[in-house]
Amino acid sequence: MIVRMARLRIAGPRPLLEDVLAAVQDSGLLHLDRPRAPYAAPPDGGLAREHRHVQRCLIDIETALDRLPAGDAGRKPADAPGLSRGTLRRARRIRRDADRLAHARASLEDERVLLLRYREFFQAFESLVGHELTWPDSQAFYVVLRAGAGSALAELRRSLEAAVSGEVEVLHRELSSGEWAVLILVSERAAPKVGALLAASRVEELPAPAGVGHTNLLRALPALKARLAVIPEELQALDEDRRHLSDAERPWLVAARTELRDRLLRLDARHRVLAAEHLFIIEGWLPEARVADLERSLHDRFGPEVVTATVGGEDWSAPDTPVTLHNPPIFRPFEVLTRTLPLPKYGTIDPTPFVAVFFPAFFGLMLGDIGYGLMLAALAGALRMKSAPDSQLRSVSTIGLACASSAVAFGLLFGELFGSLGHAMGLHPVFNREEATMPFLGMAIAIGAVHITLGLVLAALNLWHRGHRREAMGRGVTLSMLLLTGLALLAALEVLPSRLFTPFAIAVLVAFPVLVALEGIVAVIELLSTFGHILSYARIMALGTASLMLAVVANEMVGAMGSVVVGALFALLFHLVNFAIGLFSPTIHALRLHYVEFFGHFFSPGGAEYRPLGHWHPTP
Amino acid sequence: MEIALLGLAAALAISIPAIATAWAQSRIGPAAAASLAEKPELSTTAIILIAIPETMVILGFVVAVLILLRTGG
Repeated sequence: MIVRMARLRIAGPRPLLEDVLAAVQDSGLLHLDRPRAPYAAPPDGGLAREHRHVQRCLIDIETALDRLPAGDAGRKPADAPGLSRGTLRRARRIRRDADRLAHARASLEDERVLLLRYREFFQAFESLVGHELTWPDSQAFYVVLRAGAGSALAELRRSLEAAVSGEVEVLHRELSSGEWAVLILVSERAAPKVGALLAASRVEELPAPAGVGHTNLLRALPALKARLAVIPEELQALDEDRRHLSDAERPWLVAARTELRDRLLRLDARHRVLAAEHLFIIEGWLPEARVADLERSLHDRFGPEVVTATVGGEDWSAPDTPVTLHNPPIFRPFEVLTRTLPLPKYGTIDPTPFVAVFFPAFFGLMLGDIGYGLMLAALAGALRMKSAPDSQLRSVSTIGLACASSAVAFGLLFGELFGSLGHAMGLHPVFNREEATMPFLGMAIAIGAVHITLGLVLAALNLWHRGHRREAMGRGVTLSMLLLTGLALLAALEVLPSRLFTPFAIAVLVAFPVLVALEGIVAVIELLSTFGHILSYARIMALGTASLMLAVVANEMVGAMGSVVVGALFALLFHLVNFAIGLFSPTIHALRLHYVEFFGHFFSPGGAEYRPLGHWHPTP
Repeated sequence: MEIALLGLAAALAISIPAIATAWAQSRIGPAAAASLAEKPELSTTAIILIAIPETMVILGFVVAVLILLRTGG
């Protein structure tokens, strides 16, 4: 249900404004709303300046926290530092240190990755290190040919030797990946020619590592190897420095971030406060039941200097009233389903309790199998064990358990255990949906009629309560026409005495112009769509029958495959597929029946969420 | 002959709406995926929109069952 709200006004002397806002923040109850005053308070330039300082400091702190390694979660947090020049300077200094260390680490990592790319190349030609080179001033080209291109090597060698009259040495090794590492050593004089030839023949050179340039790889190789060996030590030293910095400063950073975030929230709240030279007024919404708590807390802290008063009796009408939902614990998990849509407007109806009753019922009617229900219960139980209390996953697991219970209950009613296996094992169906297809269809449509009727009743009551009497009566007439049509149909089918058909039909015809008079010609279209909505509940029967038939087919596979073992394996697989479909399809269609067919009659989305001024908490 | 025709009618009753549903979903699916890329909070609306055309094939299934029941099974 939607919690009843009250609007509270707090007034007091201007010098107490900061303290009162802090007290309001401590209470975490008041959703601030700017007081409706006939005059505007003069703009406060100091506020904007302070806002800038806090934001700048927060950027430094949060960047530093982001750059530093996570510290010991069990450490005692430092005292809140407050906003001073010292705080700003310290935050800036820590950020610079953290930035410097993080950048140095990133550069080292980049260098290591680059050198590792050459490691195989190094290893392939390691045996050549220390050998006398043919040309002391030789330059090197590094080429990696793709796997299977070994035959091109001889051609490459021939072309190069022909181009530079033999002043070239081509060395090659096969890499573990199947690629060919090719080292082309060439005299300084012939190097430009070789470079041009390689470019013209589209042979891609491996870029030389930084610091080596165009010098000979074989000469640089020992230095590069030594560099690669020393990088892990340098990384370790940097990590040690970062850890020290984190250990020393993280508690202070965390405390400063919390303090400044709270301050930022209060600064933002100041825009919704009326502050003149001598007086301030704060207004906001809070649950009606908590008004006394906040009033008492303010009175205890500030005495008679700060006065409070509940403003107006705007319940069920103020469009800007924020909305918060509060349902009994048994219904609360189902708020996950209603919260996927926008919140209902204040003063309208929270559909959560109805969803909590009908959603598992529809799901169970469609799945309706003891075996599948138990499988779902096992899944939901596992999810429940892995989820944190009050988390969304916990709510989903509770919904899963409710749906599983419903599926098992309807499974018992239908006598189904993995489809027709239940009948074979001696389960006696109270309602055999395998054979009673037509009664099942009739039941599905009757459930639809009840559900839609409930939606119309809720709409009529809510509209009446909010003072929209004409629309409420329109919904009432629609409802009457729906019921009369149903009764006329029952009379036509001789479920009721057939002589009642004529009076029911006449009553429908009489109600029709009344409906048009109350709601206009659009009401006719709405009435027809309401009948369509009721027929849409036939999907309960269709999905239920389809699920049952798939299970029956799975069971028949045991005898149809020649071998019982193979048949049983196929049957198991088919049951798993049917279970997966049986989870997804009924969920989607039960949701759709609620969101489209049921909610369409009474749900008014667009409520503003109740966001009281409170302390900042890091998002997990 | 009559049974064969009724069987054919049942097959058409399910297959034509199935094709129509598939066509509608093939149009809605990419549009929903594109919307989700920009606004992930629309996931519920997207699922509902994709489920809406399934009404056709579900009602087709119901009609097919009704026709088959006329054939006696």
